[in-house]
Amino acid sequence: MTQHELKKGSAELLILSLIERQARHGYEISKLIAARSEGTLTFQVASLYPLLYRLEGRGWIQGRWVEKAGERRRRFYRLTAAGRKVLAAQRRGWLQFAEAIRRITGIEYA
Amino acid sequence: MPDWKTIVRERLARLRLKGAREAEIIEELTQDLEDRYNELLVQGISAADARLRAEEILAQSESLAGEIEPAAPLCGFRHDLRLALRNLRTRPAFSSLVIGMLALGIGGNAAIFSIFNGMFLRPLPFKEPAQLVDLDETAPQWKLKYVGVSNADFYEWQKHNATFDSMAFIKQNDFNLSGFGTAERIPGALVTHDLLRVLGLKLVAGRNFSPQEDSQGGDKVVLLGYSLWQRLFGGSREALGRVIKLSGESYTVIGVLPGDAVFPDRVELWVPLAADPNASTGWYLNGVGRLKHGVSIEQAHADLLRVHKSAHLNANKVTSPIITPLRDRFLGNFRTVSRVLLGAVGIVLLIACVNVAALMMMRGAERAREIAIRTAIGASGSRIIRQLLTETLVMAGIGGAAGVALGYLFLRGLLTLMPDQMPRWINFALDARFAVFCVLITGGAAMAFGLLPALQAARVSAGSVLQESGTRSSLSRGSRRTLSGLVVCEIGLALMLLISAGLLIKSFDKVLHVDPGFRPENVITFSVDLPPAVYGKAEQKLTFFRNLVEQLRHIPGVESAAAASAPPLGGHWGNFFQAEGAPPLGPHEQNPVVLQVAVMPGYFDAIGMTFLAGRAFDERDNLLRVGTDGWSADPAKGPLVAIVSEAFARRYWNVETAVGKRIRHSADNAPWITVTGVVKDEKHYGLDQETRPAVYFPYGEAPLESMSMVLRGAIDPEMLAGPARDVLRRMDPGVAMYDMRSMTERLHQSMWARRAYSWLFGAFAMVALALAAAGVYGVISYAVSRRTHEIGIRMALGARPDQVVRTILGSGMALVAAGAAIGLVATLIAARLLEALLFGVSSRDPRIYATMILGVAGVSFVANFVPARRAAAVDPMNALRTE
Repeated sequence: MTQHELKKGSAELLILSLIERQARHGYEISKLIAARSEGTLTFQVASLYPLLYRLEGRGWIQGRWVEKAGERRRRFYRLTAAGRKVLAAQRRGWLQFAEAIRRITGIEYA
Repeated sequence: MPDWKTIVRERLARLRLKGAREAEIIEELTQDLEDRYNELLVQGISAADARLRAEEILAQSESLAGEIEPAAPLCGFRHDLRLALRNLRTRPAFSSLVIGMLALGIGGNAAIFSIFNGMFLRPLPFKEPAQLVDLDETAPQWKLKYVGVSNADFYEWQKHNATFDSMAFIKQNDFNLSGFGTAERIPGALVTHDLLRVLGLKLVAGRNFSPQEDSQGGDKVVLLGYSLWQRLFGGSREALGRVIKLSGESYTVIGVLPGDAVFPDRVELWVPLAADPNASTGWYLNGVGRLKHGVSIEQAHADLLRVHKSAHLNANKVTSPIITPLRDRFLGNFRTVSRVLLGAVGIVLLIACVNVAALMMMRGAERAREIAIRTAIGASGSRIIRQLLTETLVMAGIGGAAGVALGYLFLRGLLTLMPDQMPRWINFALDARFAVFCVLITGGAAMAFGLLPALQAARVSAGSVLQESGTRSSLSRGSRRTLSGLVVCEIGLALMLLISAGLLIKSFDKVLHVDPGFRPENVITFSVDLPPAVYGKAEQKLTFFRNLVEQLRHIPGVESAAAASAPPLGGHWGNFFQAEGAPPLGPHEQNPVVLQVAVMPGYFDAIGMTFLAGRAFDERDNLLRVGTDGWSADPAKGPLVAIVSEAFARRYWNVETAVGKRIRHSADNAPWITVTGVVKDEKHYGLDQETRPAVYFPYGEAPLESMSMVLRGAIDPEMLAGPARDVLRRMDPGVAMYDMRSMTERLHQSMWARRAYSWLFGAFAMVALALAAAGVYGVISYAVSRRTHEIGIRMALGARPDQVVRTILGSGMALVAAGAAIGLVATLIAARLLEALLFGVSSRDPRIYATMILGVAGVSFVANFVPARRAAAVDPMNALRTE
């Protein structure tokens, strides 16, 4: 994995990770990113949804309209088998990258 | 609650996604906004504020629309286009700078190209013009490239060649047309009847000459040119069969030539040549031939050479056939000039592109953050390159359109500079080829200045840029190197143009300061042709011209008046001479071709030539001295005299000993003629042309039908034109006068091409220098602004302002020096192409090289110094605080 792909993949990695265990809808995803990063990372409508559509186009995630009693239907995204593999690979890449950075800079991250 | 669905739908309206998909996307986005809105309300934010904040998110819908996969590729392009236009509008100074530079570069190219196109690319208005060639004979031993074709050769070539579809021969001959008001001189040609077929022309009306009419003693018939037909007969078919008087003889009109394809150029009458195949003549014809398909010029030449040699086993070893593509015969001189000019404007455009590329790269660095964010959220590199290229194309498109408009104006200006000397079938209207050229050059320019910065920008590493968030991003080392490289290129190219322009302008200046050998001021000349049917005898001609000169002298304001068969710039009539007492010719030496001019007494005075020895002709020299043929000088009629030019005297004797020596035509029994004087050489063929030795005879020894009158006025010579016309009309209204122009105008026009290209080159060079200086200034200023922080630190650590100036100047001038060195080497190589255009200046003239290098260095110094001083004025505390 080249460095260029690593960086580009960071946003993808966030989304794939968030829906690894359960399907989520777009608004939920953006809220989670903002909340878990304590506001450091935010996704705008303008960038989140296009990315979701693109990931869906690649077959890594799948969106489905789900209706729950008393609520309007929402589009939930879940990881596909292909997405799971990509996520695993991307995680490994990031770990290696972070490890490399750590070795060089001596930065310990929490 | 706001109706989010409608709002979203409006924002995405231009997306044109497929129905169902669009509905889904809208629904999903709507929900997102509703959730956001509701949450903000829950947090206790007012409904209005909440709505504003949610809408802020949607405000980025332009890029939202762009990021969502479009339904059709064009959609993406339309989006890119919109985005590009918006970006242009937000940076008006930047955009107009880029567009202005491009317009300048493209405008120059468009104008010069349309001239090149008109001259060399647009097909001539004849059938299959690529098959047409000019036929002539060449005589290198006489230093004459074209001597004309003789009667005998014409018949031989036509009969025995195997490579031509057809050939025709022409003698240009003007006629005095009488019977339609005042006599008028009409340019015409004696042509063989094949000419129509060779050119592939169709008559507008009537019929071509028959072979009988085109032979000795055939009926006198004429084909009228289209415009003459319109003028004389209002375009009526009744013209056919009418009889008109040409130079005193009656000709029956049998047809009308087409209007757009006048050949030879400007001719308005065709009359059959009706040559005698058995007569031995001089070389007086021009030929035009149509090659058979698949025959090359070389093959045709070899073929004609074979025919020529077999016909002249003993007689003619001096002349041989020469075949030139028709266009080159007329415009060949301009080929080098127009190519060199195209090269020059090309360089200007290249510099403009280099500047724009540098601007774009600097802009790209500023946009690095925007691009990094887009990359981080998944926009692919190709997507970003596409967006940047669209911006580039939009700017190139606008710049190109402005450039073409500018080029059109520029072309108009250039055409007014051109005197009326271009063949009529050359026109400079804009055509499809021009359109294609403009599109190509604009696209090429866009690629040249846009691709590199786009690639550079797309390579920007997202992480590094984002980490620097808040600080002004600086250029990567690679970009800095590229920018430096661009500066070096610009300086090199500008120097190349400047030196070339310097060489050309110096040449032009040298030409202007050439001593013409006569005094052109206050002189006006015009030509008079006597119709041979009326003035058949030598006595009549001599009497007429003697009277005419006499009466012209009496016009008030005329200082002196005379006549010559060929005044300066008035054409060439050559011959060979033997000189008494001259050293014999060496084995490989050839007698030079000598210009011979018949003059009326007083000519040297009127034209302002200087005597180096001996005396001028007087009326006693100008008595009739021709034999019974009315043509050749006859010593039995009285002493024969001549005046020779300085070059002639030096060629055979020297100036001091020439007077009293004798010369004669190079024929066995030609009579000897005594030299009575030596005049200073005059620049007969133009100020930048070489002179030939010349011999001047009294008119009485060579009475010609056609003479040019020379009037020197005490007043503005233009004022003499009217009275001179009246004099001639009173003497004989059947004699036409033509080609009336002042000598200064003739000189001026003879140099139009040199003047035009020299100044054009100068203008291009100045534009190039200005562009290059602007480029240097821009790049250095930019570099300084990016280094403000660093400079602040240095100064805080004790660097003095002059040290800062020196550092920045040093690095800037190092680039200039590198550019100048490259430009110098390139110029030394390229200047050889210019050599054909130079006059009295070496293509390596050290003074011009030095001046231009100094000029470039000076201008670049200023361009470097201004930003350097600005850097030194940095307040260290401020600089550090802003970071």
